[in-house]
Parts: sequence; C-alpha cells; structure tokens
Amino acid sequence: MRDQIVKYAGKLLADRSALEGRIAIAAKDDVLLADGDPALVRLAGSVLDRLNCLSLVAASPAVPFADFLVARAPAGDCAIVPRDTETRTFLHDIPFLRANDLEADPAARIAQLLGSRKGVVVEGVGIIASGALTVEQAYINYSSVFHATFVKYLEDLLVEGFRLPGEKEAFAAFRTGWLRPLTAEGLVFRLGPLVDPDEILDEVTTVGRYTVERGLVDSFFGNISCRCGDMIYISQTAASLDELSGCIDPVPFGNTSTTGITASSELAAHRRIFETSDAAVILHGHPKFAVVMSMLCEEEGCPVTDCWKDCPKVRIMGGTPVVAGEIGAGGLAKRVPPVIAGPGRAMVYGHGVFTIGRTGFAEAFSALVEVENWCRTEYFRRLALRG
Amino acid sequence: MHGWTGTILKVDLTSGRIWREEIPEEFLHAYLGGRGLGVRLMRDYFRLDPFDPEMPLIFAVGPLCGTPAPTAARLAVVSRSPLTGTIYDCSAGGRFAWRLKAAGLDALFITGQSPTPVALAIDGDSAEFLPADTLWGMEVKESVHALAGHGSVATIGPAGENGVLFANIMMGEGNSVGRGGLGAVMGAKRLKAVTVDGAGSVSPADAERFEHARRDVMRLFRASPVIFGELGIAQFGTPALVDLMRQRRMAPTENFRKTVFPASGNYSGPAILRDYQAKNDGCFGCPIQCKKSTPQGEHLPEYETVSHFGALNGISSLAAIVKANTLCNDLGMDTITAAATLSAWGEIRGRFPSAEEVPALLRAAAGRCGAGELLSLGSRRLTEQLGRPDLSMSVKGLELPAYDPRGAYGMALAYCTSNRGGCHLRAYPISHEILRKPVPTDRFSFSGKARIIKIAEDTNAAVDSLVACKFSFFGATLEEYAELLSATTGTEFTPQTLKEIGERIYLTERWYNCENGFTTADDRLPERFYAEPGSSGEGIEVFPIDRARFEEELQKYYRIRGLTPEGTFSDPTYLERQP
Repeated sequence: MRDQIVKYAGKLLADRSALEGRIAIAAKDDVLLADGDPALVRLAGSVLDRLNCLSLVAASPAVPFADFLVARAPAGDCAIVPRDTETRTFLHDIPFLRANDLEADPAARIAQLLGSRKGVVVEGVGIIASGALTVEQAYINYSSVFHATFVKYLEDLLVEGFRLPGEKEAFAAFRTGWLRPLTAEGLVFRLGPLVDPDEILDEVTTVGRYTVERGLVDSFFGNISCRCGDMIYISQTAASLDELSGCIDPVPFGNTSTTGITASSELAAHRRIFETSDAAVILHGHPKFAVVMSMLCEEEGCPVTDCWKDCPKVRIMGGTPVVAGEIGAGGLAKRVPPVIAGPGRAMVYGHGVFTIGRTGFAEAFSALVEVENWCRTEYFRRLALRG
Repeated sequence: MHGWTGTILKVDLTSGRIWREEIPEEFLHAYLGGRGLGVRLMRDYFRLDPFDPEMPLIFAVGPLCGTPAPTAARLAVVSRSPLTGTIYDCSAGGRFAWRLKAAGLDALFITGQSPTPVALAIDGDSAEFLPADTLWGMEVKESVHALAGHGSVATIGPAGENGVLFANIMMGEGNSVGRGGLGAVMGAKRLKAVTVDGAGSVSPADAERFEHARRDVMRLFRASPVIFGELGIAQFGTPALVDLMRQRRMAPTENFRKTVFPASGNYSGPAILRDYQAKNDGCFGCPIQCKKSTPQGEHLPEYETVSHFGALNGISSLAAIVKANTLCNDLGMDTITAAATLSAWGEIRGRFPSAEEVPALLRAAAGRCGAGELLSLGSRRLTEQLGRPDLSMSVKGLELPAYDPRGAYGMALAYCTSNRGGCHLRAYPISHEILRKPVPTDRFSFSGKARIIKIAEDTNAAVDSLVACKFSFFGATLEEYAELLSATTGTEFTPQTLKEIGERIYLTERWYNCENGFTTADDRLPERFYAEPGSSGEGIEVFPIDRARFEEELQKYYRIRGLTPEGTFSDPTYLERQP
C-alpha cells in the first residue's frame, strides 16, 4: 500500500492538480499508513480514522478555483453543484466547509461530510477525497472534484465575471502560468491501418499516455478504441488512460463473446461510430475547455430543461457538432454517431469530445487538440468580451 | 412511520396461534430490515438446532420495499442453516416481498411445528392456515399452481419436505431462497407454503427527494457496462460471466481440479440467447431484469448454475444444464450445492456424472433414496462419510460457487470470512477483482484485501437489509441508496451510517457463530487451493494460494474487525451493548 501512496502522490504532481508540498495520502491496512505534508497527514489520518473506508487524499489544488467557488457561494449554501456530466452522474454535488466553519476538531466535520460524499472542498485547506477500496479510488475522486470545480468555475466566470479581490490576478496567473500550449507536435503515431493485434494494443496504450502527458485529459476521463476486422479493441472501464497496458478488451462486433463486459461504458457509442463512419480509431476524452464550451447555449425560451440529456438539437461550435446524451446506455450512443462522420469530431454536452481517425491515431489526436484549442481560445475571447 | 410498517406477524405452528406485534422502532433504525432485522430477531434463538421446532423462520422485507426504489422489492429469509450450522440469510426477489409489505408487515416470524402439513395464507390484515395434505409431495410448479388465487407464493418442494440439507424455499415467480437449506427448516415445520396478498402502499416521506435519488440511480445503471452495457447482465443475464471466467482462467472445472473448461462456450451468455431465444424475466419491479427465460416461460439457469452443472461436472450440453436447473427448481433444491455435491461424489468414485445421469441423481437426492440419501447431505457430509473430506470444495460446509479462489485472492479471503460459509455474495470482491467496479483491484494480490473485504462485508450487510440487489452496486453506491432511504423514511442515513449498521449486523452474525463453536479453524479454504495450481496458460499463471500470505491477511482481517487471533470476540459484552 505504501507503493500506492508514493505512486499517486507522484501522479497528483505530474498532472499538476495539486501543489507540491501540499499533498497527503493516508491509507488504512490493519494500521494507518500516511505520507506527505505533516499538517495534512495529521488531518487526513484523523478524518480517515472516523470513516469506514480505505484511503484518503488531502491536497491543495494547483489552481484556487475551488476556494473561489466557496467564497462566491451565497451565504447558506453548503455545496457546489457543477453541471458537467461526470459530476452530475458520479458525484452529484460537492459539499464544502468554509474556513470559519472549522471548529476545534475540523476532522470531525470533514468526516461527517465525507460520510455522505466522495469528495469535499475545505476552504483554505483544499480538496479532500476518500477511496472506499483503494488509494487509486481516492486519487480518482480527488481528480474528479478538481475537474468539476475547474469546469464549474470557468463556467461561472463567463456568467458572473470576477467578483472577489485578487480573483482576476489569480486567474491571469493560471492562464499564463498553469495552462500550457496544447499540441500534437513531436508525438509519433503509427500510420495505419493497424492490423496486428500486438501493434494495436501498443498503439492504443501509447496514445492513451499521450493524451494525459499533453494535458488534454485527466487520467481517468476518457476511452480509446481501434477497429480491426470484426474486432474492436477498446480500453476497459475505470482504466487510466496513461496506464492502459493490460487494460484493453478485444470485443467481437457480433457479440459472440462477452469477455468485453469489462470494456468502457462507451462501447456502444464506439461500436455505432465504427458502423456508421469510416473510422478506424476513436479517441474520447474530457478536455476541460471543451466541457465548459459544450454547455454554453444561447437559445432563449427553449422548453428543454435537462439540456445535457434531452436537447434534440445539433449545435455547431468551431465546426464541431455538439449533441446531448447520457453516458453508456443513455442517448450519447445514439446522438454522436450521426454527426461525427463528416467532421471527424463531436462534442457531447457537458461531457467531452469524440474524434476519429480514418487510418491511425494521428488524425484523431490532432482533432482532439484542435477542438480543445478552439474551445480554449473561444473561451478567453468570450470572457474578454464580457469584460 | 414512513418506510416501515412497524409490524411483525408471528405464527406458532404448534399451537396454531397467529398474531401481530409492533417492532420496536429502535430495531428498525439499528437494523433496517431484511437480513439485519432477521438477525436481530434471532438473538434468543440462534443456539437452537436448525430443526428444533422453536427455531424461527423469518421473512423480512426492507424499508424501500413497496417504493419504486430500483431492485428493492426483495426480502430476506433468516434462520439457522441445517447445511452449515451458521446463522443464515438469503435474499430473494419476486412479488412476495412487495405483497408482504402491502399486507402491512415488515416481517413474518414463524416458529413451531404443525401436526399436519399446512400452508399459511396472509390476506391483508387476516391470516389463516390452509390444510396442505394434498399439496405435500407436490413439486414447486404444481404447488404454486394449486395456490394460485392466494396472491404470491413461497413454497417448498419435495426436497424441503424430505429434509434435504440444501433445500430451497421457492418463490412463485421462480426466485429462490437458496444455498443454506432453509427449505428443509420450513419442511421440518410441516409448512408447505406461505401465500400473501395485500393492498397497502408505501409513500415516501419526501417524494421529490426520492424521485431525484431514483433518477441518480438509474443514470448510474445506464453508465455501468456490467448492468446495461451491450455485453452486460441486462442483455445476457449472469451467464455473461461465463466467457470472462474462461478468459481469466478461473472457471472451476472437475471439482476444482482445473480452472478452464474448453466447452464452456456452449453455455455462455450469447449461446443461451441464441439457443433459447432468451427473454427478460427478472425480479418484480427491477429495471435490470438479469434473469432470463424461454419464450414458453421456462427459467434459464444463472451463471453459477451453468458453470457448476457444466464445467464442474465436465458436462458440455446446454440442454442438459437447462434441464438440471429446471429440475432443481421444481424439486426445490439449490443448484450450486447440488452440482458441487455431484462433482465431489464424482471425483471420489473416479467418474463425474454424465449429462444423462444427472436428472435421476437429482430426483434421488430430493427423495433421499438410493445414492440420493448421501447426495442429500451436501458435499461436506458426503465426503466425510466416504472418507475423503478433502474433496468437499466448501467453507463451513457451504459449497464454493463458480469463482476459483486461486484466480482472485480477495474472493479467497471472502469465502472464508463470510458468516454463512463459502459464498460469493457477502463481500462480493468479484465486483472489483474481475468486473472493475467501482475500481479495479489486483486479483493476484492480497495487498489491502483484508480491509477491502471488511468494508464490503459491512456495505453488503446494509444492502441486504435495505433489501436491495447486489447487482445495483455495479453502478450505484450507498450514496444514492442512503438518499433513497432518507427520502423514504424521513430519517437521515448516510453511507457511513449504513456501513456502521452493516458492521453491527456482520458482527452479530459472527457472534452467533462463535457462540456455536465456530473459530478461525472454520475460516479456511479446502486444502486443494493451497496445494494444487489451477490451469495456467495464455499468459496467465494460476498458482496455488500462498498459505502463509493468506494466513497473514486473515489475521489482519481479525485485527481490523477487533477480533482475537482465533477469530473470536475478546469483549464478552459485545452483543449486550447492541440495540
């Protein structure tokens, strides 16, 4: 378990979701194991001691958006309610504690909130997330809260602008210091068509790692597939995109075997895309600016309220069609395939981006970069217009 | 009171008395319902012999039963198992639970022994005994048919009447209260059947909150490949696992001598769908509908059944497996133990039964005649009587289901720490070790597994007390079900409080077992798994389980549970301190 603590502390730094020196991970075997910032370690241990779960991550996020969301929340609010699909589905909402809510024993209050939810925001401390079964699960939950608060804050800024002292400056520092250019430059892709199973497994693993290393997606947010004859090779559910070795399922097109029951929840969408387009490969991820932009709709007087699943329209943003649809067996698998074939890319409301490659992953990866770059540029243009 | 009715129906078959009592609200909050409530109600009886007339047979529903909470129209039946001697509960679907609640009851508590065969008929506020002399001897389908018109039926077949130690109680829709032989407990009471009808309804304390939580659950179901995925259990039923277990090389074959059966494709999910045009036929009110039947309504076997009548006995004929399943259901007999007992017997005599021999052997077991007298005892007693106790692939006398423990070390540990014996459904580590839900864990590692198993046992004890189906948790979590429960009852429950309730239930069960003499000596796998490898190949090595590492993790488990190194309680007041 100690190796897991070291590994995921490293991942929090590598994906730049937590501040160096402000990370603690605690895990319970028959004894408590913990490592990291001493103050956070004490807090994490004390919280974990009160919970019937295995692990806890406590860290200060590398951007202060979660704290800003708390500070901007009306008095009386006690939870952040992001609208992106991942949060809506898996986290529901994110409870928070204000700094002045913390009493002599903050661990008790935090444990009380974590007894109901996978992650919480504690103002001035950071994000604290639990993992019922593994250290990895606590890391995933931390990562999910980080993603959710990031997206929610960016979305709120477009509506409400800057409201807090220092907020504008902090955001500028994020833009110039934290964000990095997104590019496919320097990456090596096999040309395709990919026909050898070993080659396919290797290429899918490599491209998965690229998406995380280039900062396009956080580790657990996406899936990848490659078609070869009557087989789809697809990443497994709950697989980390940067660790796909051994986590790719071969699934026969005719469903003659069910070994792919462990495949990504988006198997149905991938299958339909392969059936209805000339795609050879599919890349799906949740780049943050694309998620934010996909939720912007300027239509007035629309009767649809659950836009993320019920909107029947196809909107176009930067040449990319945007459709609604739920994960897995929800509507996503029906709505993405009809729009993706021509442009080779599609966004899903509040969810992320699908791109295809007709031969290999170079085209799909470039498209993913292009969509996110367009969304990033457009986001800042709109924020500037807002003034 | 919302969610619960607060009422129990007590039945004394000896005196013929039937009366209603209030259940202390404290019990309901502390034990929820289903398994938990049943376990609490066993406190004064757990030392009795399972066939003692005063041994209670308890049917208990949960606070979500009667609401549209997904997969919660279920009940638990609780007593002491004649097969294992442990405290025993089993969850079952069907309309029976929903109708019991609609009759205004949280639980049904049956003691005594009737002088003649009877059926208990509950109709709303009233309840009476029906003579069942003419039903005695009937198979399940026939018995259900004879009682049509009385609402939902729970009945035993010939196996239960004859005291087969793995006899089931069968629900009219084909669901079974299986594994531990509670059908034999019912048979010993000369209670052929219970019927129930009712017209009451359950209204959540907060309907809007309830609906919000219900939608959250359904969204998670849709996001789960195991549930609603194209290859999931809603599509193929639990035999969707056949191909996966073959690929993972952990399909128990020939009494666990091997872990791959080359012909398993004959009874895989796609094969059953193709050969039988399988249609959905799941539990009442369940959106998953994992059970399947033929267009003519014959119930098709589940994963454990196809695998154990298949690979475990070296039988490749799907038709023969379907027939064996139907026969077990009609006779009221557990399929896992029936198949595993045949397999152990087969290994001892040097020949596994052929597909053609199986029906007669099952009938013999249910009738306890000829070879069936021995087969009716389950594999542990059978192998002991034949001088080869090492060939019973069981823990605490409960036969292991179709997940070879050499291929999933959490499963290995969980088989041993389960309070009802070698059961996959207590901690259910297959969820993360094989199906990657909620997150994957390394199946060939013991690291962290003691803690993981403990947490899962607590969680599932709460789930079994709600009473919801385990399959819900391939998608949803206790977060959503705590919301459903809070909205239904108007009392706040959280995942943490539910797990604390689950821990209380688990430890109470363990306490009962310890008082009846169970210790760490009973928390052991059969010797085969420490000594013989599985079937390695295709890049997967299936080694024997490292005994020292297993013992180390088992001791960790005891420490985490607060137990002694013997797996017993150091605090003699534990039970007294519980509500």
